[in-house]
Amino acid sequence: MIDPRLDVIGKRLAPVKRIIAVSSAKGGVGKSVCAALSALALSEGGYRTGLLDLDFQGASAHLLLDVELDFPEEESGIKPLRASNSVDFMSFAVFSREHPVPLRGSDVTQAMLELLAITIWDPLDFLLIDMPPGIGDEILDALRYLPGLEFLVVTTPSRLALHVVERLLAMLCELKAPVVGLVENMVRPGSDSSARALAEKYGTALLGSVPFEERIDEILAEGASGKPLSGNFGHSIRSITARVAASGR
Amino acid sequence: MHEWALAEAVVSTVERLYEENGRKTVLAVNVLIGELQHIEMEIFSVGLKNILAGSPFSPDVFHFEIEKATFRCNLCKGDWLLEQHTDLGEEELEAIHFLPEAAHVYMRCPFCGSPDFGLEKGRGVSIKSVELEELLR
Repeated sequence: MIDPRLDVIGKRLAPVKRIIAVSSAKGGVGKSVCAALSALALSEGGYRTGLLDLDFQGASAHLLLDVELDFPEEESGIKPLRASNSVDFMSFAVFSREHPVPLRGSDVTQAMLELLAITIWDPLDFLLIDMPPGIGDEILDALRYLPGLEFLVVTTPSRLALHVVERLLAMLCELKAPVVGLVENMVRPGSDSSARALAEKYGTALLGSVPFEERIDEILAEGASGKPLSGNFGHSIRSITARVAASGR
Repeated sequence: MHEWALAEAVVSTVERLYEENGRKTVLAVNVLIGELQHIEMEIFSVGLKNILAGSPFSPDVFHFEIEKATFRCNLCKGDWLLEQHTDLGEEELEAIHFLPEAAHVYMRCPFCGSPDFGLEKGRGVSIKSVELEELLR
């Protein structure tokens, strides 16, 4: 039996210049928030940007970007939805809405292949992927099926997070997968972190630190409504995405 | 019309096999269509003809076989068919049409109610075989 979807994924992603998986082996470090805000910041910076939520079981990017989950328009495939009038968007949640998504590994792979094979992306400078936590099916499949995939790794200053994130960096290093850099999220004043040392250990850069922000929901709502990302928080995200954009030149 | 995207995938595979095998004439492409995805065969065929325009392959060499969808519960080991799910609404069927794994969102084992089941066969579009001409020298 031959799976014909494998022969069309490269064609579907051909209009995308860079594909970046926002990843972390540790849950709860703010991957989805970083992915959503980075998509908004890149779009704000004039880059054509898409966001693909591959965290099927914990899909949340549509909530962060306030995307209305209508079935997609069909042409010669399905068209991504539009978030914040500027970010192209696709997620399993478009089909599952707010229901639980109980999938085993082989179903995760099937769903990912289907979304990659039928979604028709317009030309994009960046397609960010909101990855689930861990080093499981989604990350192994992404490495296998997404040509030229790069990784943006998210951690917090917590010792626990840094330890778990190091395992992902070690694997990416072993596989020689390109890592754009490390982002340290939820940094409080006076935080003492070894994130920079961790980045250096694996030959990558600490792209920036994002301060812990009490007003995160408010800032996200502003961003989703098309307003620029505000305050120190917005400045940090913009500075990180500027470094991401510059890393591809 | 996302059937067109799947038809394009089938043609891309045939194109690859054609090139990899010294451009031998393609005699038959046997495509399996899983019942679960509810592919509209007319739309799929129109898409296929459109995509094949100008290619070395005739639409006539494409043959389709519909495969019934069967499920097995990982918990109680019960087996069942798609047609036993008479409870699925239009929205749910549409979601499964786009993404067959949405079946795990909207379906449960009819015997024990578990969401932990596997699709044994009949998922979506796959290619059973491609027959190429043997060149006689």
